[in-house]
Amino acid sequence: MTRYIVRRLISLIPTLLGVTVVVFLLLRLIPGDPAVAMLGEHASQENVQRIREQLGLNRPLFLDREALKQGDLKGFLDSQYLRFLGRLVQGDLGASIHRRIPVAQELSQRFPATVELALAAMAVAILLGIPIGILSAARRNTWIDSLSMVGALIGVSMPIFWLGLMEIMLFAVILNWLPIGGRLDHAIEVRRITGLLLIDTLVTGQWTAFWDAVKHLVMPVIALATIPLAIIARMTRASMLEVLQEDYIRTARAKGLHQRLVLFRHALKNALLPVITIIGLQTGNLLAGAILTETIFAWPGIGKWVYDAIIGRDYPVVQGGTLLIALVFVLVNLLVDLSYATLDPRIHYE
Amino acid sequence: MVEAPRRPDLPEFALRRRRTLWGDAWRRLIASPTARLGMAIVVIFILTTVLAHFFWPYNPKTDLDYTLKLKPPNLRPTAEIPSIHPFGTDKLGRDIFRRVIHGGWNSLRVGIISVGIALVVGGLLGLLAGFYESIPMTPGERRGLTAGVGLLLGFIPAWLADQPILAVLFAIVGSVGAGLSLSRLGHWRWLLFAGSGALVGGVPALWVSPYTAIVCGLLGAIIGVFIAFPLSGSLFSNLVMRLMDIILAFPSILLAIAIVAFLGPGLDRAMIAIGFVGIPTYARLMRATVLSLVQRDYVLAAQAVGSGHARILFRHILPNTLSPIIVQSTLGLGSAIIWAGALGFLGLGAIPPEPEWGAMLGDSYRFLASGAWWAVTFPGIAIMLSVLGFNLLGDGLRDALDPRLTR
Repeated sequence: MTRYIVRRLISLIPTLLGVTVVVFLLLRLIPGDPAVAMLGEHASQENVQRIREQLGLNRPLFLDREALKQGDLKGFLDSQYLRFLGRLVQGDLGASIHRRIPVAQELSQRFPATVELALAAMAVAILLGIPIGILSAARRNTWIDSLSMVGALIGVSMPIFWLGLMEIMLFAVILNWLPIGGRLDHAIEVRRITGLLLIDTLVTGQWTAFWDAVKHLVMPVIALATIPLAIIARMTRASMLEVLQEDYIRTARAKGLHQRLVLFRHALKNALLPVITIIGLQTGNLLAGAILTETIFAWPGIGKWVYDAIIGRDYPVVQGGTLLIALVFVLVNLLVDLSYATLDPRIHYE
Repeated sequence: MVEAPRRPDLPEFALRRRRTLWGDAWRRLIASPTARLGMAIVVIFILTTVLAHFFWPYNPKTDLDYTLKLKPPNLRPTAEIPSIHPFGTDKLGRDIFRRVIHGGWNSLRVGIISVGIALVVGGLLGLLAGFYESIPMTPGERRGLTAGVGLLLGFIPAWLADQPILAVLFAIVGSVGAGLSLSRLGHWRWLLFAGSGALVGGVPALWVSPYTAIVCGLLGAIIGVFIAFPLSGSLFSNLVMRLMDIILAFPSILLAIAIVAFLGPGLDRAMIAIGFVGIPTYARLMRATVLSLVQRDYVLAAQAVGSGHARILFRHILPNTLSPIIVQSTLGLGSAIIWAGALGFLGLGAIPPEPEWGAMLGDSYRFLASGAWWAVTFPGIAIMLSVLGFNLLGDGLRDALDPRLTR
């Protein structure tokens, strides 16, 4: 098992290296000069030149073949990509071009917001999706089944940015129950411990702040949870139906075991494996879906930040944010693979 | 009128209609109420948009009437609003119903073209990856692959020395090397390849500068060693699938946004971005399908009678990958419509005043607070319904085309 983990981690290196190349190249290819974006359209030629030099934008992208011609090996390797990679290895993600704040610092502030949103949405999706799936499978071909499966199909087909707008219309504009966006009322101060507001406010016992954070979470969580909820419910139902046809279920029933026991002890355990795969894949997608949700609800997470940075040509921010998202995505997939071995003793990793 | 001749002496089963694979699938498809609903939605969607596009001309550039700005839906003309607007009007006084109908044309276009891009590129990559992973390459194919690898890797020294001919030289080294039977050389072949690589890389670079020649020679030696490995189909498959992993490591919407930012806004560019992001899905599906198909007896039989690889691939394997591909493409049409809407909503898809559902939402959501619910509700319902239609149809097709899954 340990050997398998190590091997998987090593095999991640080329993928992640490829990710850095793609992020790096894609950004460099986007038309527009960050130095101009930083100084404005009317900046003087010298100033632009100075800033470009400061940011290292005057260096070649990968390797400097002119320097090589002169036999300057150090200059040969002194390129934008290798500089970026070298700093990355040291944990330095650079500073935001527009706001001059270190990317790592802002990332550590914004990442918990996205994590809180994604985890809350995932919790809702799992806690509702799995029971709905079990119920549909147990009451197969009844109105409960049809209703929840039609609901799930509508959920899968839902454009979440539109769902978010509809929520704002209903809960914030018409009913005026929930705040329209943001993460916390500006007047409230919370001592930062984990960065997850729900936990921080609970630990410090700030109940009004906790309640306010919950109210801010409701709408984005509904928007974000809809698609994984629907997918998890469908997957649970399909997987349960398959397992319920197995011989050992018939044996368990023949023994006279209670239906509930058969469903939860015998069927559910075996049906969960594909559901866990889906949960893992969806967790990655949640981080991605957060871009739209965060934009609509002005949620101060990484999704909106990276989106703004792409539009504003803030290279270091896009690189840092995208790399983090990709890293989390890849690690979640690894965790899913590893959880197989724990859940299904038949699977052994060499 | 000529009467059909009767054949009373034939037994009943001979007169029965011939059963075909597609005929059976069709009967299973229309037997399912949800699939019928999906089909109905899809047919209505396609019919209205295509008919509207050709017979109900609409010019978004001239459509503008400030006197009708943000009027709620009305089904009967009144003194204030003399015209009928079943879905209301938007911030420029444009009829939302009309724009929703015409927006369908754009959604349909995005769906078909982006799925087409993803399907052709991803499908072809997956097909080749799955095939050569399980079936050994012919000597000719191996020479082609090695030459390709040589060409690809040769670009690095070629760029360094600014001499494109270098890459071609490496391709030739690769194809000649793969063609020779070098097994009797033993370990000497590594040296041979490294040496020839160093020569091919280093000598032409001498014209540039001695330093460049040293670096290119070193790189050439490394490439030579790499080419000396007995390259096989699994290397190709690995290469393709790792590339797909890299694309998949990005959240698709992020990648799509970055590509559109690179290409510039516009619906055509959005189609390319959405199609590109979808490539790995089809590549993986195709590879998995092909991997299971090459184990079948009929593929073995085709190999046994000496069919060429191209014939096996396109006559025996490709037709059998159709059903999962049809299902995935139908579902893909739905998600492409959502992606296009998302990009449009963020202002990266269709350029206004072009009618597109996502862009219409992005245009009007600022008026939600002032109570203009209709401007946001109807384009969204259009997205949801059309996606639902494709999803229902796709689900139905999956059950119909693969009866083993039906429960």
